[in-house]
Amino acid sequence: MNGDAPSLPAFRRMSFFDASRRVFDLSLGEMLWSRRTIFMALVVGGPVLLALIVKAVETFGMTPLRVDGQRVPGFGIFGVMIWWLFLRFIIPVLGVFYGTALMADEVEDKTLTYLFTRPIPRGAVLVGKFLAYLACTFLVVLPSVMIVYFLLVPLSGLASTFPSLLIDLGLIALGLAVYGGVFAFVGSFFKRPLVIGLIFAFGWEQVVMLLPGSTKQLTIAYYLQALVPHAMPSDGVTSILQGLFKENPPAYLCLFWLFAYLGGFLYLATRVVEKKEYILEQ
Amino acid sequence: MSNKKTRYFVAISGAILAIGLGTGLVASYMGLPVSVFSSAAGPEELQYVPAEAAVVAYANVRDVMNSQFRQRFKSLEPSQSDKNEFEEKTGLNLETDVDSVVAAIMPKDGMANNPAGSFLILARARYQASRLEALAVEHGAQVTEYNGKRIITHREGNAAADANHDDMAFGFIEADLVSFGSLTTVKASIDAHSSNRNIVSNNEMMKLVNEIDNANAWAVGKFDAIASKAGLPTEIAAALPAITWFSAAGHINGGVSGTFKAEAKDEATAKNLRDIMGGFLAMAKMQAGNKPGMQQLADSLVISGEGNTVALAFSIPSELLDMIEGLAKSRQPGQIQQ
Repeated sequence: MNGDAPSLPAFRRMSFFDASRRVFDLSLGEMLWSRRTIFMALVVGGPVLLALIVKAVETFGMTPLRVDGQRVPGFGIFGVMIWWLFLRFIIPVLGVFYGTALMADEVEDKTLTYLFTRPIPRGAVLVGKFLAYLACTFLVVLPSVMIVYFLLVPLSGLASTFPSLLIDLGLIALGLAVYGGVFAFVGSFFKRPLVIGLIFAFGWEQVVMLLPGSTKQLTIAYYLQALVPHAMPSDGVTSILQGLFKENPPAYLCLFWLFAYLGGFLYLATRVVEKKEYILEQ
Repeated sequence: MSNKKTRYFVAISGAILAIGLGTGLVASYMGLPVSVFSSAAGPEELQYVPAEAAVVAYANVRDVMNSQFRQRFKSLEPSQSDKNEFEEKTGLNLETDVDSVVAAIMPKDGMANNPAGSFLILARARYQASRLEALAVEHGAQVTEYNGKRIITHREGNAAADANHDDMAFGFIEADLVSFGSLTTVKASIDAHSSNRNIVSNNEMMKLVNEIDNANAWAVGKFDAIASKAGLPTEIAAALPAITWFSAAGHINGGVSGTFKAEAKDEATAKNLRDIMGGFLAMAKMQAGNKPGMQQLADSLVISGEGNTVALAFSIPSELLDMIEGLAKSRQPGQIQQ
């Protein structure tokens, strides 16, 4: 005996990267086969179904969509779908439902303790789950966009429209990442994250985009919509107002702010997860 | 990855993305042989139009001949004697034997002095090759073979003196398809089909063809390519709007409706064009006054477009056609003037 207390066997603390990878691995399967993914499949299945209907109508020699008496070509319909369905609805809605649930689900299911008692940095739990969210949404949403594109655009039009498809895919991926990052912070910080998320995505963003002035710079949609390669479709008063006050900031500025939002909110979310004392209600 | 189910899901999603991206990349950089996977937009004759054609036009002659519009004005046509003479000599009845016609312009230097040398006409019809060939030989034409297709060439006497001159030729390229144009363009059309390097592989042109809907006559083209080779006087060339592409499509049946679309070089030019057309439209509406047919025609004109594009849609109402028919009938010889 040398008088020193016998030391407990030391747990090997994983690096942040390794821990994130382990959490990602664990969460991806859980996320993919959850009820939330059925909801996501239904949401992204809508555009595929619409594209199938358009294709069927075209096969029977009819014109699926006309504007001012003129036929809207397949790529035009694809552009409308990117605007209305993906950018204005699917991306924000998936961002809200998945992003806010990253930590909130663990709190609600009272399984957070199991993760936090592991010898891993707490922030890695959030980052791993965020990466799983990205993989899960990319794997469902991007193939859906691809299927819609090939259903609507004739093969003779591939060469001229393919660069736009690449921009669309990149934009959708970036949109999912940024909305996911913002709502990951909302989910880890606030007690009713879903309500706050829905108010932000479908209240604040929609209203501010219709107003003149610089307030719209406090939205994600402002930067995301400025990068869309398709013309904004006209769908009544909302589009007229939005078109009236639409500004087109340069692409580099949009990308800078989108990545800044993503990095900033993800950092804030990890800080919150590391510092916050989560109280699991009994 | 956690389990087999997840791995399959990832593999299937990844495969959809990889196949889509791969197909798009191949189409962008190497051109996709569209006919392999699906029928290309437009008529089959486009496979005989060389890829460098700047203008392509199509008319479904059968549709137009059978249309109510044509039947309405048939009685006003001049005597049949000229038509009968042509039919007796060639065995070809232009009304019943011709199904469709495709025309193309391949711009080249000196086009202004020898426009015939840049044209190609493809007609799908029921013809008697031996009769046409005999008639041509009787008139001094020569029959040759090119890549297994028979070509009848007519050589003019003073052709050798003119450097720009192209012999006119007539090629029997399919059992029911003939090509007509200069010897160079007829040979180019045969090559275009056999080498598979034809207008169908010209993505910009096919995009315009693909956008045409429900038209039995249409034309698409690269406006600036034609304007630069047409030998227009400088003043006129300078005054032409900076249009790059255009397409015009019409549907003839009971009435006549159509659209004209143009793509300007920039948004400012397109906006100016829209404004000018808007001005003309307003003037036409004022002039139409209370004439019912003209008023309806003016009302049917719709100007649209955004960004670089300008579009004009029109529809000739039956009231206006009634008016024209009445006027034409009243001016026919032997008609009693009221």
